[in-house]
Amino acid sequence: MARTAIPLTAPPQLEVHLRHRIGALTLEVDFTLTQQWTILFGPSGSGKTTILRAIAGLLRPDWARILIAGIDGQNQGRKGTYVDTDARRFVPSHQRHVPLAAQSASLFPNMTVRRQVAYGISLAPNEAVHAGSMLKQRDDKTEAILALFRIEHLAGKLPGALSGGEGQRVNLARATASASRLLLLDEPFTGLDLALRSELMQTLRAYAAQENLCVLSVTHGIAEAFQLDAEIIKLADGRIVQQGPVATVLADERARLLQQLTPSE
Amino acid sequence: MDTQALWLTLRLALSTTALLLVIALPLAWWITSDAGATRAIVQAVVALPLVLPPTVLGFYLLVALGPLTAPGRLIIRLLGHPLAFSFAGLLVGSAIYSLPFAVQPLVAGFRAVDPALHDAAATLGASPLRALLTITLPLARPSLLAAAVLTFAHTVGEFGVVLMLGGNIPGATRTLSIALYDQVQDFNYAAANRTASLLLGFSLLTLIAIYWRGAARRPLLG
Repeated sequence: MARTAIPLTAPPQLEVHLRHRIGALTLEVDFTLTQQWTILFGPSGSGKTTILRAIAGLLRPDWARILIAGIDGQNQGRKGTYVDTDARRFVPSHQRHVPLAAQSASLFPNMTVRRQVAYGISLAPNEAVHAGSMLKQRDDKTEAILALFRIEHLAGKLPGALSGGEGQRVNLARATASASRLLLLDEPFTGLDLALRSELMQTLRAYAAQENLCVLSVTHGIAEAFQLDAEIIKLADGRIVQQGPVATVLADERARLLQQLTPSE
Repeated sequence: MDTQALWLTLRLALSTTALLLVIALPLAWWITSDAGATRAIVQAVVALPLVLPPTVLGFYLLVALGPLTAPGRLIIRLLGHPLAFSFAGLLVGSAIYSLPFAVQPLVAGFRAVDPALHDAAATLGASPLRALLTITLPLARPSLLAAAVLTFAHTVGEFGVVLMLGGNIPGATRTLSIALYDQVQDFNYAAANRTASLLLGFSLLTLIAIYWRGAARRPLLG
């Protein structure tokens, strides 16, 4: 099936310029997101997670300029500038509303699954609506997300009672629920069985298209990258090696993988 | 049984606990979130009553709250009498003396909360204060309880600060531990025995309550 990546309404949606030293690694990346779904691809230690954390505001980079476009896709000026080290601007994480589903699900142990999913929805920036209908909107969206991720049956449970895979799904659902422009996913599908993995990818892809969400995910799995058919940003040692469609950027990796999978005579 | 001393002791312990929770919560939160040299100094000052002889603390407070210092004189002018040798003065002394017992369990409780939870809350749009109220505090509830119970019990058992700062005024500053001291001085061993066993029983029951609740699964004074 030849699916083409869906371009967003008016690119670029996110513009990232980042210089940061962390341990032995020196990150030096510049990229813009123009597609619905972009994957940061590279070996462990290549700086993928650091990039996500910098965009989410969980890390104060040595130097950076990170800009996000408005709902209409247009440049928002200062309002859309998350970080600009030169202009001494740094918007704290909670004012960015860029949910990051971390690799190890960090669910709030004191909240039921339903409350976790609802948590970010009520905090998301909202057009002025009166309090009553806002609560109703939150509850409706919570139920819709629970259904979308097929976790309605877990809604009343606390994280302690969930299996690893269930926790991972709740983690994804919670982040997705509160995303309004941009959603960051750090190895979101690891630890899930193959069938569930494909199902979740399709679900998320469809949801992102429907809500006009820009998704940036991190992976080092080739199969995952091809399945999502996304734009690829290939990283090595803190630098971008190549950016483009998956079939182009990961052609060598794919050939190598296929060779390994084919039994030799 | 000196019931007046008993009620005074309970009133002092309850007031101290209430006052200290208000002070210790933000203090412990700040100690947990800051990492600089200031934090180390503040933490050391908070922990001082653990190692200092209560009489030393009592002496300095007596001097500080008396007419020899500017704050002391201000208090005398405002209240019309010195803070020392009054219930209010005793409350100030107790609060300082029991401060580590309120702060340390809270710091331990806050530290035990995974920082990744704060990160997750922040990316979902929760301000640090909201994260504190909706995640950290609920998760640190056992530590909050431990802090309250320890503060209460420690105040019931204090002697040196009370003696130095409060003297021995029935109904105002004469707590159970002071009453016990008096009873022994008067060779009234029967009364002393009743007071002492009351204090012993209370302290033991308090500790059993803490361990029973499982609040002590985390180090109380870590």
